[in-house]
Amino acid sequence: AEESFTWKVQSHWPGSSSSYEDSLVRLKTILEERTDGRLELELYEAGSLFKAKEIFNAVSRGILEMGTISPAYAQDKITLAGIASGLPFAFRNVWEAAYFHQGLGFEQMLRDEAAKHNVYWATDKVYPTEMVVKQPIDSWEDFTKLKIRSSGALQSFLTDAGAAASYIPGSELYSALDSGIVDGAHWGASQGAFSMGLYEVAKYHVQPALNIAGTDVIIVSQKALNKLPEDMQNIVKQALEEQFWFRTNEYQYKERITLAKAISEHNVQVNTLPEDVQNRLTQTAQTLWDEEGKRSDNAQKALDMLKDYLSELGYL
Amino acid sequence: MSIEILTLLFFGSLLFFLLLGLPLAFVLGGVSVVFLYFTWGFDSFYMVSSQIWGTMESFTLVAIPLFVFMAMILERTGVAKDLYRMMHLWCGGLRGGLAIGTLGICAVFAAMVGISGAAVVAMGTIALPSMLERGYDKKMALGVINTGGGWGILIPPSILMILYALITGVSVGKMFAAGIMPGILLMVLTAIYILVRCHLQPELAPALPKEERGTWPEKLRALRAVLLPIGVVIMVLGSIIGGITTPTEAAAMGVLGALISAAVYRQFKWSILQEAAIRTFKLTGMIMWILFAAHAFSAAYQSMGAQDLIEGLMNMIPGGPWGIIVAMMVIVFLLAMVLDPVGIMLITLPVFMPIVESLGFDPIWFGILFVINMEIGYMTPPFGFNLFYLKGVVPPSITMKDIYSSIIPFVIVEIVGLGLIMIFPQIATYLPDLLF
Amino acid sequence: MGVLSAFMRGVTRLNDVIGRGIALIVFAMFAFLIMEVAFRYLFNSPTVWTNELTQMLFGIYAVMSGGYIMAHRGHVNVDLLHSHLPPRGRAVLDILTSTIFFIFTLALLYFGYDMASESIASWETSYSAWNPPIWPVKAAIPLGTGLLVLQGIVKLLEDIAVAFNLNYYTPEPQDDAKGEPL
Ligand code: NA
Ligand code: NA
Repeated sequence: AEESFTWKVQSHWPGSSSSYEDSLVRLKTILEERTDGRLELELYEAGSLFKAKEIFNAVSRGILEMGTISPAYAQDKITLAGIASGLPFAFRNVWEAAYFHQGLGFEQMLRDEAAKHNVYWATDKVYPTEMVVKQPIDSWEDFTKLKIRSSGALQSFLTDAGAAASYIPGSELYSALDSGIVDGAHWGASQGAFSMGLYEVAKYHVQPALNIAGTDVIIVSQKALNKLPEDMQNIVKQALEEQFWFRTNEYQYKERITLAKAISEHNVQVNTLPEDVQNRLTQTAQTLWDEEGKRSDNAQKALDMLKDYLSELGYL
Repeated sequence: MSIEILTLLFFGSLLFFLLLGLPLAFVLGGVSVVFLYFTWGFDSFYMVSSQIWGTMESFTLVAIPLFVFMAMILERTGVAKDLYRMMHLWCGGLRGGLAIGTLGICAVFAAMVGISGAAVVAMGTIALPSMLERGYDKKMALGVINTGGGWGILIPPSILMILYALITGVSVGKMFAAGIMPGILLMVLTAIYILVRCHLQPELAPALPKEERGTWPEKLRALRAVLLPIGVVIMVLGSIIGGITTPTEAAAMGVLGALISAAVYRQFKWSILQEAAIRTFKLTGMIMWILFAAHAFSAAYQSMGAQDLIEGLMNMIPGGPWGIIVAMMVIVFLLAMVLDPVGIMLITLPVFMPIVESLGFDPIWFGILFVINMEIGYMTPPFGFNLFYLKGVVPPSITMKDIYSSIIPFVIVEIVGLGLIMIFPQIATYLPDLLF
Repeated sequence: MGVLSAFMRGVTRLNDVIGRGIALIVFAMFAFLIMEVAFRYLFNSPTVWTNELTQMLFGIYAVMSGGYIMAHRGHVNVDLLHSHLPPRGRAVLDILTSTIFFIFTLALLYFGYDMASESIASWETSYSAWNPPIWPVKAAIPLGTGLLVLQGIVKLLEDIAVAFNLNYYTPEPQDDAKGEPL
């Protein structure tokens, strides 16, 4: 009989997150089908075996065969992670970010960096990160008065831009927004906000996106991949390749219907930022981009590529 | 090896080494490592240190040292003692009055903290010596603190409810609202039990002799003792409800309140603060090392396929919707004896929730039953974490056996409460339906 | 046997001194959280560093407590069997169960060291908005566990002395009291 394999897969998504089902369970089903059951994925919800920030290390060491992460959790290993997790106010449409990854070769650059840590990197999808706020932002003054729950690079960005951004853990986010400790927050975009119950207490969904990026990544231990017979290796890589396009597209669809649901069920309104606010935010963002470029030669190369691309698109 | 046999061996060795007297933290940690070695290999030990790192990074746990510190200061400076003197003067004639007063303080404490552990340790420090001094039966006093200290996860704010909402996708606000009436119900039931029991056996909770009950002017003067504790409560609850602080930051407001109280009592002295800090360190460290190991233990158990076991069990349950709900309650109760809340939720909820919803039950109501069940699990021997936290603060004259046996009637009362909420779901669902 | 006694006293003293120092971190955690509330509420300018610094201090505080608590018999256990045994029986039992203690703590020491040295090698930072170095907090895991292991060795030596009537250690009367009342 042919040898069969079982992989432990630690997710950074909780089970209630739409991506757990739509990305991970989908991948599991496809891989099991195409390998005739020779490769089985054992899925673990967020926090079961390893905390989110430890998943990259565990996959890199080969303790876990597969995992899902946000690039931010691999910042210390991957110098491109800052750019991968999304430079603020760079792309304006999801397809632009998708083409940057797959058409211009950013995905391959990430994959090469990850390979040094025995990790095979495959972006699950690109999607926007959007804010919800309790009061609409109609002017620059409205924006600078905001107290926003944020994290990572976006927290620095929002602070530099003049809002008061602070980090509050996910478990306290709902209460903080409800009682007014913060007036706004971002947790993914509408699907994220919906799953956290944020629309119950914050009725304005802010657009455009703070960033659009490959914020969800599937990582595979190179050691585990090498143990598979060649046909199965190809099946895995092929499935991951398809996953990117399928999920990026599906996610946009689900964003739209979730927002529609929020609008009808929770009386949420879309708050489009005024032109001058958008312009000022873009200016602040560009100084931050340059910081990311300084992390390595590779990061500088990716940043230059991004800037050329954005100029080509007519945004710079 | 099948997960059924692994489960028996895993929990069996836990019980074995615990009974041999090895501290809980090391039993949980050591047994995890041994089983990980045989099921996953040497490299998987990395998971143990990684879980400990994850626990160190959990911001909500910062509330533990702060609330414990607050309680230590209130106890060391005499604020707590005066509070109990006041309660004794006012309800001295009532058998069990202090125990009921303690339940009230527990409920207020539960409204201030979102995690259990801190409340048990704090109430053990404040309430236990005062009740023992006044001739209360030690089992009565221990039981009251153990049961009341556990309400922190049922009465909002509650980290567990937020987690439940996150995993199942129900509204956090509704869960919080749903916890209030069940919390009050449990308090009333426990108070009734105390009154009846103390009426039948006056020696358990002696009333204050008539001549010591004090005159009205004395009583009124003693009333001043509640002003400072009420001030502390207002600082903590007010800053949570008023949107000034997160629940974790509110713990720091509690310390601030306690420090102000110390100053009013002219006890703002380095020696007292240092002593309070050292005791806080010991108790927090005790709790944290148990949590470190408990998190490693649940991760190890999950890696062995705990969820498959639950799925298998659910497939075997006969007997209609209510049979299934009761079976789920029993599973949660049994797991709560051994695992930490996050672990229990991760293992069971993905299996339970689709079934609960397909049977047409309200997930909010089920969530309340789930939380109460975990709370009961935490006060049930042999592992119940709250029992160990309490053991950490009691004087050496109180043994684990005392604590174990103290708990039985209180567990029965909580199960009665649980039954009432199962039969009358409105107890949980009325408020959320009204408010949302 | 003088070396053994000196070692045992030295370790216990070391844990005591470190513990009494680390215990004071609770003042810092309190102060930083209150500062954050004041910055945010009174001046509408939350900081990027207070909560994270508090978090890091808490991690060190928690993990460094193991040895101190062990020295003060503060790790709680079930004493159902213990309370029925004479001191020698108890000591023999504790010698046997110490294997489980050492399996846990040595595994933790090994992989904690591994984790910390990897972190130190890259001078790992948190990559939050504040982005402080977090390798000192990770380094506290092997450090705290090491102190716990040392205290565990002391406890084992004590038990061996009691079990076999060796003269390098005589239990002091208060050792029986198992932790001070609070
Ligand atoms: Na609570
Ligand atoms: Na229990």
